[in-house]
This record gives sequence, C-alpha cells and structure tokens, in this order.
Amino acid sequence: MLKTSALSALAMLAGSAALQAADIEFWYGNTGTGEVAIQAACDAFNAAQDDHAVACMGQGSYETGMQKAIAAYRSGRHPALIQFFDAGTLDLMLSGAVLPVEELEPEVDWGDYINGARSYYETSEGMLYSQPYNGSTLIFYGNRELLEKAGIEALPATWEELADAARRLREAGVDCPFVTDAHPWRVLEQFSARHGLPIASRDNGYGGLDAEYTFNTGKVAEHLQNLHDWREEGLVKLNEDTAAGNYTVAFNTGECAMMEGSTGSYGAAFAALGDKVEIAMAPMYQGYERHNTLIGGASVWVMKGHDEASYEAARAFLDFLRGDDRQIAFTRTTGYMPVTKSALAALEAEGLAAEPDFATVPTGVGSLDQPGGEGSRGVRLGFYVQFRDIFMEETQKAFTGGQSMQAALDTAKERGDALLRRFEDTYKGVALP
Amino acid sequence: MKQEIFRARALPWWLCAPQLLVLFLFFYLPIILAFFWAFHLEQPFGGGSQFVGFANFRRVLGSGEFWSSARATLAYMVLASGSSVGTALVLALAADRRLRLSGIARNIFLWPKAVASASIGVIFVFLLNPYLGIPAPLNEIWPGLWNPRTNPLHAYAMLFVANVWSAIPFSFIILLAGLQAIPEELHKAGAIDGAGPWRRLRDIQLPLLTPQLFVVVVLEVADSLSGSFGLIDTMTRGGPGGATNLLVYKIYSDGFKAYDLSGAATQTVILMALVAVVTGAQYLFLERRVRYDR
Repeated sequence: MLKTSALSALAMLAGSAALQAADIEFWYGNTGTGEVAIQAACDAFNAAQDDHAVACMGQGSYETGMQKAIAAYRSGRHPALIQFFDAGTLDLMLSGAVLPVEELEPEVDWGDYINGARSYYETSEGMLYSQPYNGSTLIFYGNRELLEKAGIEALPATWEELADAARRLREAGVDCPFVTDAHPWRVLEQFSARHGLPIASRDNGYGGLDAEYTFNTGKVAEHLQNLHDWREEGLVKLNEDTAAGNYTVAFNTGECAMMEGSTGSYGAAFAALGDKVEIAMAPMYQGYERHNTLIGGASVWVMKGHDEASYEAARAFLDFLRGDDRQIAFTRTTGYMPVTKSALAALEAEGLAAEPDFATVPTGVGSLDQPGGEGSRGVRLGFYVQFRDIFMEETQKAFTGGQSMQAALDTAKERGDALLRRFEDTYKGVALP
Repeated sequence: MKQEIFRARALPWWLCAPQLLVLFLFFYLPIILAFFWAFHLEQPFGGGSQFVGFANFRRVLGSGEFWSSARATLAYMVLASGSSVGTALVLALAADRRLRLSGIARNIFLWPKAVASASIGVIFVFLLNPYLGIPAPLNEIWPGLWNPRTNPLHAYAMLFVANVWSAIPFSFIILLAGLQAIPEELHKAGAIDGAGPWRRLRDIQLPLLTPQLFVVVVLEVADSLSGSFGLIDTMTRGGPGGATNLLVYKIYSDGFKAYDLSGAATQTVILMALVAVVTGAQYLFLERRVRYDR
C-alpha cells in the first residue's frame, strides 16, 4: 500500500508540475479496508479534474499520523489536510496549527451534518472545526450461528439480558460469549454518552479547561465492576484472554459470540462471517433512557501555513469528499457511515439502505440520532489520548487482579485530573473556543 | 618519531570534523534541547513554551508512575545484564574447551547479532504466545499457567528470554576472544600442579578474563537501560497494566503518544544522569578489580 501511495505521489508530482496547479498532501491513518477506500477517493478526485492534485499518504495509524504531524508542523513541512481521530480534538483546537473548516469554506451548509457528527467537532459556540470524514459509532455485534446454539433469538438489548444470554451461551459450550478490549472508547465514552452520563465536570469539558473527571462513581464504576465479575465468571473475555489476542479477530474467527465494536469493523466481520453477523444498538442498563452515542472514527483538519492555491485545492478536495456519492461509495467498502442528511437521503432514495453493504447505516445513524444530553455532546478534554492509556493501564491492573476496580477508577481519575491541570498550564492564557 | 608530518594545527580538527558534526547534530543538540524542554512547559505543536523552573522535575519526581517505572528499570538493568553476561560466559567457556563441534558453535552463537531486537521481539511473542506458541499444550492442561499478556512476571520472563538471546553474541565473542588469549602454558602448568578444570576456571581463567568481563558488563548495563526499547515495543508495549513500562519506553510514550514533550524531556535528563552515575560507579568501583596485566 505504501508503495502504491508513494508511486502515485510521485506520479502526481510529475503530473501537477506540468499543469502548474496546486498539489497538496493529505495524510491519513487508516489501514485495511479504510485505506483502500481513501485511496480510491483520492484516485477518483485526481481523475475527475485537472486543476488540483492530492497526494494521499498513509501513516499507519491515527496516532502515528498525529506524531508525524507534530514533528512536521514544527519543521514547517506539514500537509495541508490531515485526518485526525476523535480523542485529539481539543489538543488540535488549541494547537494554533489548524484552520477551522467553517472559516476555510464559510459558504458551505455545515448544518447538513447530523447532530451527533457535528457536536463532537464543533466549539462550544457551534463552529465546526473539522470536516467529519470516516464517521463511525459503537454498535453491538452477534454471531447468529453461535447464538442459535444457545437458543437465543434476538440480540440482547440490555446488559441484564446480555449477562443472561452469555450464561446460556456458556452452558451451550461457547467458551467466549462476549468479548471486548475494555478500551475507554467503548466502556467509558460511548457507555456514558448513551446512558446520558458525563465523564467529567463542566459538560465533559465543553464549559472550560478547568473540568475534572467524575466517572469513578455511579453507573460507569458499576458497569466496570460488572465486566470484571463477568470475566471471573467466564462470560466476558478480554483481548488477552482470546487465542486471537484481539477482540475483533476473535469475533470474526467465530471464537466469540458477541462483541461491542465500531461500525467500522463491520466490513471485516461481514467478509469473514457473511450473513451470520447481526448488529444492533449497543446495550443499555435497565431504567436508563437511551441517548445518542458519540461519533467515532476521524475527521479531516486543515492545517495552517499554506498558500491560497493550496487552500483552493483543499476546498475542492473537501467538497469532493463531502459529496453524497463519495460518502456512499466510502460506506460501501468500509462500514463507516454517511454523516450528512443529504447523503442519507440519497442513500434512501437510491434504495440502497436495505443492501448488506449498508447494514450499519440504520443502526449506526439511529444510534447517533438519539436525543442528546449533557453527557453525549462529545469529549472536550485535554491530553485525552494520554488519558485513554492511563485508563487502560489502571483497569487492566484491576482485571488481572492487581487492584480492585474501584481503586483503579479512583487512580485513573486522579491521574487524569493531573493531566487536565497540566493541559490548563500548557495553554495558559489560551481561551477555549 | 618527530611530529613533522602533521604540523598544521587545524588538520586534526578537519579530520575530526565530520565525526564531531554528526555527534553534535544527533547527540549533543538533542541533549541541549532535552535540557531546555525540561525547564519549560512546551506546547506540542510549538505554539509557545514558558519557563517553569523545576516544576517539571517536581511533577515527574512526585508521580508514582515514575518511581515504579524507575524501580522496574533498575531491577531490569541488574537482572537483564546479569542473565545475559552470565549465559554468554557459560557458553564462551564451553566453546573455549575444544569440545566436539565447538568450532561450529562459536560460529552459530554469533548469528543473533544480525537480527534487530524488534524482530527478535516479534519472533518471541509468537513463540511464547499462550494459545498458539510453544507453551500452548501446557496451557491446555493447566489453564492460566503461562500468560505474559496478563501476568507481569511472565511478561518479564518473556523479555529476559528475548534479551538474553539478543545479547549473547556480543558478550560471547568478546569473552571468547579473551579466553582464547589466555596462554596455553598457564593451563598446562596448572594441570601439572594438579588443578582440575574448576580450579583452573576460578584461579586462572576468570581472573585473567576480568578486562573483558568489565567491558561486557559496562556495555550490557548501559544497553539494558536504553536497548530494551525494541523488545518492549514489540512484546509488551509497557503492559500488562504498566508493569513493563521501563523508563526508556515511558519516555517514548509520554513524549510521542501523549504529547507531553516537557515531561518526556525531564525524564530523559533523569535517565541520562542515571546512566552516567551507573557507568561512573562501575569505573570507580569495579575497574579496581580488573587486572590488565598478564
């Protein structure tokens, strides 16, 4: 893949020099089907017009992309467009290195983006900073064949039903009823959002940089304790308990019967299991009203420090990516979802919504479109990427018996708050947009 | 000999210049920057940095994670260098004894040197995979017997095995060369006086091998502090639960994954000081016992 992107970059450099047009770079982090779809979009853009050329360069992962962008920006060799992931949102907003898309293209109707997709990437005043691209959200996956072995007809809609189904699966000889990696995106952010619970004060940080984490009490703590107890009981497996070593692979190979995962995992699951894959909205605890889940995946950011010709090319490329056909084509290969109202309407109008390629759309968009609450706007917390690592580290110790789950969450909160204070100090005098 | 050929004073500097330039760019400049950042709070994208005095040091030295990482680093340093030098010494002594096939063994033991530690990590992760690797049958009989993904002790065992494997060639070749340079007459004289192999090992070989042992220990200790990165990154990524998050890996993840450039720089300065102190101590205390004369 790298080779082809390097080659196409070279070809574009040569081609664009002859045309005297702006050629820009777009860095992305996806691999696998996501990368295939991104490269296809770039090729289509370059073939569709002669004015601009975009060189799309895979960075291997979102995190590597961000690391390289930091180094590149500091030495003035950064790309015009770059795909960043959800957790880096606040770091980028305050970095001074990006240009809000609403400023780059004020004439575009940004209100066309569905609410769940917008709120994560807009300021507290409602200005959209980046263009949502590969939108995903958390959904629930089940393996029909394994569920049938235990006589389970429908996917569980609540955690109580899920625990019950897991017990029956175990009795029916399924060693791994439910698998998760216990990553905070799944067990903390999406869990809190859809239960309408904030994970930090000040509206998850939207209200100011002085927020503090609050997840260590209440339902989140209870849920993690449950996951811990269910794992002891043999109902839940973590990455490291599976032969595959990874929860999506464990689900795709038929080792595990159920998982919570991104809609972006659907493409690979469908390729491996075919119509045995069943999906639904992620389970709730009884007695809670369902709120919207958060948009996952990544969005495209415009970086400062380029000339007007490059921004002209950037506008053209962003417009192209936003097009209904382009969003639908992207969804077809990946399982990511269209996130504008017009693209969703086009999907409906073309009668595609029922096709298996678009199976994630009704569930995923349905989940994103639930009523919003104070906890489901997004996560606006500094150094959040590092906090995710802290959360993983502490809860992992609890799962493997090094400490109690409550102690793990308390420590994670304490360490997280220290991060937030350092973030506040690092950006002293910078106002939260 | 008169120094008439190299009378030009600038010439030595010119000859050294390429090396000095490379050293400056890739060694001294980063160190200077690390010191600068250690006293500043630096924004990841370089938007601004403010002088904060010793605040970064207070923050780093006041965090439990730093101390647990430092303790793990010191324990790893002692155990990893000890185990790899010890194994290499046993193998070198065996290869020196002109047993059958020792000529081939001398050759084979060098091969791992050609493998990068990251590759060694990948290979050993697969070999020691609890469900698919060599221990898999044992795990079938006694579930949970071996799982480096969840058990910190197992994770360390895995790192040590890979580290020994990757560190053997270098120590081995130096120790073997040292052993082979010991004059045959000493062995013969010792044997005539009735000293058996163990006695000759203790009184002849080991004392005469101290210069090589010293070099190997100094290099292995320094290497265990910084060279463990490739293994940790491919094998444990600091887990499970941060158990194998040694300083060198913590610096990387704090700086590059968490955008904490100031904290990472501060820990770099501390690690540099640690390496300097440990190496200095070795020269001060260990080298006294080295016999360079034969």
